[in-house]
Amino acid sequence: MSKTADDGLGLIRPWIRAVERADSADGLQKATENLAGALAALAKADHQGESPCDPEGLDAIDCLLQVLGFNNPGAAVAAVDGVIAIGPPAVEPLLGSLDQRNYGARAWAVRALAGIGDVRGLDLLESALSSDIGPSVRRAAARGLGQLRLEALPQIEQINVRQRCLDALLGGGGDGEWVVRYAVAVGLERLLLGMGRAEPGHRSGLQALQELAGEPGDDTPVVRLRAGLALSRLTGGAGC
Amino acid sequence: MAGTADLDSAMATAGEPISEQEALQRLRQSEDQSDSYYAAWWLGRMRSRHPETVPLLRAALRRRQPRALSSGVEENAVARNAARALGKLGDPQAIPDLLAALEDEDDGLREAAARALGELRASEAVSPICARLASDQAGQPLPNSLRLREPCEALIEALGDIGVAAADVVAAIQPFATHERPLIRSAAARALFQLTQDRRWGQNLIELLEHPLLQVRRSALMDLGAVGWRAALEPIRDTLAENSLKLIALRGLVERGQAPPDTETVLRVMDDLL
Repeated sequence: MSKTADDGLGLIRPWIRAVERADSADGLQKATENLAGALAALAKADHQGESPCDPEGLDAIDCLLQVLGFNNPGAAVAAVDGVIAIGPPAVEPLLGSLDQRNYGARAWAVRALAGIGDVRGLDLLESALSSDIGPSVRRAAARGLGQLRLEALPQIEQINVRQRCLDALLGGGGDGEWVVRYAVAVGLERLLLGMGRAEPGHRSGLQALQELAGEPGDDTPVVRLRAGLALSRLTGGAGC
Repeated sequence: MAGTADLDSAMATAGEPISEQEALQRLRQSEDQSDSYYAAWWLGRMRSRHPETVPLLRAALRRRQPRALSSGVEENAVARNAARALGKLGDPQAIPDLLAALEDEDDGLREAAARALGELRASEAVSPICARLASDQAGQPLPNSLRLREPCEALIEALGDIGVAAADVVAAIQPFATHERPLIRSAAARALFQLTQDRRWGQNLIELLEHPLLQVRRSALMDLGAVGWRAALEPIRDTLAENSLKLIALRGLVERGQAPPDTETVLRVMDDLL
């Protein structure tokens, strides 16, 4: 399995067909769940972390990206799981597929990018949080900005990327929608957990959380509570 | 359900930015209904605290403008938006005007007035609302229309929000718990749960989360958020509906509900839905 994806794709092709043939909302959801499950099993079995990225693997990605555009939340949840299971090979197709007219679909795509955590999504997450018209898109972007996977990057590059994420999240703290500010608190918590205390930006991140949590704090009680929880995790017993 | 949240956020994004002074000016004039319609909405949405805001909105509510088809807005549009705004602003001085609007022959205006009276927790409204619900065929459709004779959903939800848990109030709502329309059943279960804290009504709402119609599932989500029943945490998470609505419902569980489960558990579920 770690050498070739042929076996896996042999397993996946029928699931792709089932999604394409689905003729009801329920049927589409079931078929998408099955496809996502097969992709996740394949990713799990493959300890190299290499996912199907040959032409047939791309079929699976295309198929899932189409499902994100249907107005079927159950199927979209499953499709996001499937795209995340495919991982980095799905990033370029995702970035190329964003539908400017359908913000429901854009929100799911941004969620998938956030779940994969690939740094190639950074530009998109930044612009989505600062200027997308859909609150659900901005919310998914804020979450994603807190969970990019940077382990493979050189140290100095990691610091630069985290600073960009932080700047974007600080901007998002002034969003007009409570759910986006909530997501900003979550994003800041995760970003700061991965940041050294001496790193530039750690202090301004904490300060932004204090502004959301403290007196008077955010207008929306659940946002205050979430920011307060983030602070207690960051400054309480965790770590040093 | 209180179905205006999404509309509000859509308009907040799309609407033109105007100043409070500009909004008040637009509400003062009566030539352009679209202008005063937008101004009334704006003042409510922005929670205007200007001393002229409530008097101007009350005047707009009393002025039942006839329908002007050319302006492209609904009948009594300005009065309806004024009622909605007065509900958001929380000033009890508006209650007498809203009670009068509750007796208007336009059922859309009665609906807006009932919701506003609910938001203002106006106990004066309880007996007129109960009388409307008990009136002949209140829950039957109007001829050639999908609308019911009375705006039952809004009337019932207002009773739940006002929170007078007297036996006759409960008795006025209870027949609607078996209404043929699921949205009315959802509103009744919500109000009865708020008034009695009887879990069986919460259970009814959880069952509606599995209704085949998305619109009903959405409504039950909003109603569970309004009652804040934390036992519904997992059913809400697993409902086939947009995450945006689940997040609104879960916010209600955090802000209105009580442990168990504890707040941190609810927040964890919210984090996963972002």
